[in-house]
Amino acid sequence: MKFLAKGLAFGMLLASPLVIAGSGSTADHIKAATDAYKQLSKDTGYQWTVTVIKIKEAQKALDAGDDKSARKLAHEAMDLVEATRQQAKIEADTWKMRVPK
Amino acid sequence: MKTIIRGTLGTLGLGLALSVSAGPVEDQAAFQKYYENKFPNTPVMDFQNGVYSILPEAREQWEAIEEFPPYEIAIENGEKLYHSKFANGKSLADCFGPEGAVRGQYPFWDKDRGMVITMERAVNECREANGEKPYGWKKGKIADVTAYMSFNSRGQEVKVEIPSDDPRALAAYEEGKEQFYTKRGQLNFACADCHMLTAGNLYRADTTSPAFGHATSWPVFRSKWQSMGTLHRRFAGCHTNIRANPYKAQGTEYSNLEYFVTYMSNGLEFNGPAARK
Repeated sequence: MKFLAKGLAFGMLLASPLVIAGSGSTADHIKAATDAYKQLSKDTGYQWTVTVIKIKEAQKALDAGDDKSARKLAHEAMDLVEATRQQAKIEADTWKMRVPK
Repeated sequence: MKTIIRGTLGTLGLGLALSVSAGPVEDQAAFQKYYENKFPNTPVMDFQNGVYSILPEAREQWEAIEEFPPYEIAIENGEKLYHSKFANGKSLADCFGPEGAVRGQYPFWDKDRGMVITMERAVNECREANGEKPYGWKKGKIADVTAYMSFNSRGQEVKVEIPSDDPRALAAYEEGKEQFYTKRGQLNFACADCHMLTAGNLYRADTTSPAFGHATSWPVFRSKWQSMGTLHRRFAGCHTNIRANPYKAQGTEYSNLEYFVTYMSNGLEFNGPAARK
């Protein structure tokens, strides 16, 4: 139940207009990915190294003035967060099937 | 009819519940049996030699390395550190005895504190209790000292206990078990994927070792590291390899994982330190 509530809260975060419509500044998109990453990590303990790398690359591109690349990287980071969330959801029970009987 | 259906469903539900909630003793028996079936040519006690227990072609090379072991310097350094006096005139020997031959006592469940105590943690807590700074957790002096202590403990039986009168101990074990079997990281691997289900298979140029016996030989000199490292250093390395952020060494996650993995090797002997690829 707790996991479901967390999943719902996270889903609402993902469904925010900022992410869906692509509105807001690129900095906002990077922040959204960073916040989503941290929240998921806090809720589930699942973190992928590649997500952090992607967020850093997005920030670096933004700092270099490459807004288009930065936004693309921020969206890729958000995709990785979503994939991590799916992994956490699936593994919440699936791990038990691997235990030898 | 409804009653029969309910009864049948109830029985099935109970059966399913039992099948996923076996206790540590049943877990361990099934775990060890799994490896015995997978590697029928490996004598049970030989699993403590890691991948070399299942890889005859690499074993010869490993045995040659063991004649002039790369961890020998660590043992010597560890001996010096072990007997070095703290500022208060005491030493690690005051906590662990004249030779530190206590490997077989770790990890254990500390009822008073409600947590798993590893040997590395015990060493650093001894230092702190005597007014000294703790060592780092993954390599360097902590690995040297525990190499010396493990060397003097060789042959001690692995006999981790999960006290039945403290449900928190079982919970810690279960958390470690979940860690072992849960897929993580972008590569979507569990410990069990490499070291159980596909143990003995090649991943690029390396053969994965069986998890049965994993916890006996630490600390280890790894050729890849060109240095000594603790078990938690290896856990973190594995997690990084599968692109998962590692947990903190000696944090709850890795301590509980060590508790589970070591319990699974009950009956084997501690044989650290060791050399590994």
